[in-house]
Amino acid sequence: MSSSTAEVASGTRPPGGHRLGRGLLLVVMCLVAVVMLYPFWFMIRTSLQTQEQFQSGSRGFSVSSWSKLFHDLPATQQMLNSAIICTCAILIILALSATAGFAFAKLQYRASTFVLLGIVAAMLVPMQSIIIPEYVNLSRLHLITSYAGAVLVYAALGIPFATFLMTTYYRGLPDELVEAGVVDGLSYVQVFARLALPLSVPALVTVTVLQFIQIWDDLLIGLLFVQNPDQRPITVGLAALSAGRVTDIPVLMAGSLLSAIPAILVFLFFQRHLVSGLTLGISK
Amino acid sequence: MASISFQGATRRYAADHPAALDDLSLDIADGEFCVLVGPSGSGKSTALRMLAGLEACDAGRIHIGGRDVKNLPPKQRDIAMVFQNYALYPHMTVAQNMGFALRISKMPKDEVAQRVAQAAELLDLEPYLDRRPKQLSGGQRQRVAMGRAIVREPQVFLMDEPLSNLDAKLRVQTRTQIASLQRRLGVTTVYVTHDQVEAMTMGDRVAVLRDGVLQQCGAPRELYERPANAFVAGFIGSPAMNLLELPLADVGASFEGGVVPLPRDSLASATQLGLRTVTVGIRPEALRVAATDDPTTTVSLEIVLVEELGADAYLYGTTPGGHRLTVRVDGRRPPARGSQVGLVVVPEELHVFATEGGQRL
Repeated sequence: MSSSTAEVASGTRPPGGHRLGRGLLLVVMCLVAVVMLYPFWFMIRTSLQTQEQFQSGSRGFSVSSWSKLFHDLPATQQMLNSAIICTCAILIILALSATAGFAFAKLQYRASTFVLLGIVAAMLVPMQSIIIPEYVNLSRLHLITSYAGAVLVYAALGIPFATFLMTTYYRGLPDELVEAGVVDGLSYVQVFARLALPLSVPALVTVTVLQFIQIWDDLLIGLLFVQNPDQRPITVGLAALSAGRVTDIPVLMAGSLLSAIPAILVFLFFQRHLVSGLTLGISK
Repeated sequence: MASISFQGATRRYAADHPAALDDLSLDIADGEFCVLVGPSGSGKSTALRMLAGLEACDAGRIHIGGRDVKNLPPKQRDIAMVFQNYALYPHMTVAQNMGFALRISKMPKDEVAQRVAQAAELLDLEPYLDRRPKQLSGGQRQRVAMGRAIVREPQVFLMDEPLSNLDAKLRVQTRTQIASLQRRLGVTTVYVTHDQVEAMTMGDRVAVLRDGVLQQCGAPRELYERPANAFVAGFIGSPAMNLLELPLADVGASFEGGVVPLPRDSLASATQLGLRTVTVGIRPEALRVAATDDPTTTVSLEIVLVEELGADAYLYGTTPGGHRLTVRVDGRRPPARGSQVGLVVVPEELHVFATEGGQRL
């Protein structure tokens, strides 16, 4: 009797302990999924009720809260505001972190390590501790009445981590690749634009997704640095909903759901890139 | 096509460190295949990178085609380089990889395509032009890296250990391909390797470096037959030359109770320098196996290891005086491990070096 038969047998029938472990894992994962998904279910269900139905606990179905949301609140405009702020801040973060990351990783200039350490140390500064001086600075520059103030603050808060991430990524690119580009006739700027940048798409996507979720969901910066009511992001709009004497919970839930959708879509759309590596095949 | 000239080229990474390349002076003729060989840290790659413009030249000059290139960026030196890890652009296809440098230089698309097609035909890469590097085998990637250099039709090819990532069989195959390709194209080539077999089989001339200093440069046979010092003698040749430190006697060197006769000129130089000992180099094939009671026998050897390679066999053993020797014998009937054999030294094939400094006497 050959060993191959034994192998086949063991392959079709995994040991009992192994199966038990997998079963347990499945149960735990289901529980976690319920905990994570229940808030969404609650939001969907509540947003499809009237305030009276919600308060009395009676069953019923109504889309009145959704129509109210778009009728009473400038929800569309606020979503657009959020999108504009997010896009501008992320573009600044990507441009600066990618160029800085490439410089730190590949153009080892004097004291570059110290500069990088300084930037990484900036990640440790709590946002709340710098918010007052930031506010004073930006108000003096008359930047808090437009998108610009919030965009700049979000960019400043996002750049340290993004630079750290991009530096780490570019360090993984072989130096020979840069040298091959230089020998082929590229300047360092062209090496960055034509070789390093296309190869760093996974890292750029990671930065984009993380920053998008963070900026889109943030309330504090938008509340403080966007003083013009027409330019407020959706999170500030939703906060205003609950600031009145009576809070219409179903409308609030509809708004929350609406505001959560873009972040979820961005994550689902890009999650494949988040985990993929493009650098395979550069060398041996 | 162009000649290359290093004139006292020096590279020092830090003031308090020894130079990575120390005062290299070397002329490479137009169309020549010159191999830089040496152990790790010998400065061979540094020399190549200085020639490419990837490394600064702290002192001295470097000329390509009579033009001083010391302060020129790589793209103005008219060179193409093949890297150890190939450094192919992973987001481009094989054709794009090969034509990249030409596209940057604003060459018309038709001409780029034509040159890429020619190079692909030369290197048997036609079926792979639309593939990406990760879809290729190691050997194919190596050929793409060669193709990338060929399409540019540069004055000089620079190759930095391009075969070190291939398996043994493919390495031998590619070795001959590169050498014949170079002869066909006639482009001046500087090739860096740590493998002395590669150096000996491929190069028109071989330059041996050690600790940043050029030891000897010459045709492979010259290096083998007249090594300039004990380092070159030990580095060139496989298996390595037997190097024995022996005290000087009247007409030769004392060895295992007898005297090995040394060439008169070598003896005279040693006496002139006031040396008491010399390093005697004996190639494994300069030792002939004889019966232990043969009157011509110089020394007996106890065999500890026999390496059978088919045509040849190498005997590794120790003499009664504790010297370790390697002997090349006919592979058909090698002596058994553990047996004793007599060895006859062929005096005409001895090399004599100063023990201190290692220079040839």
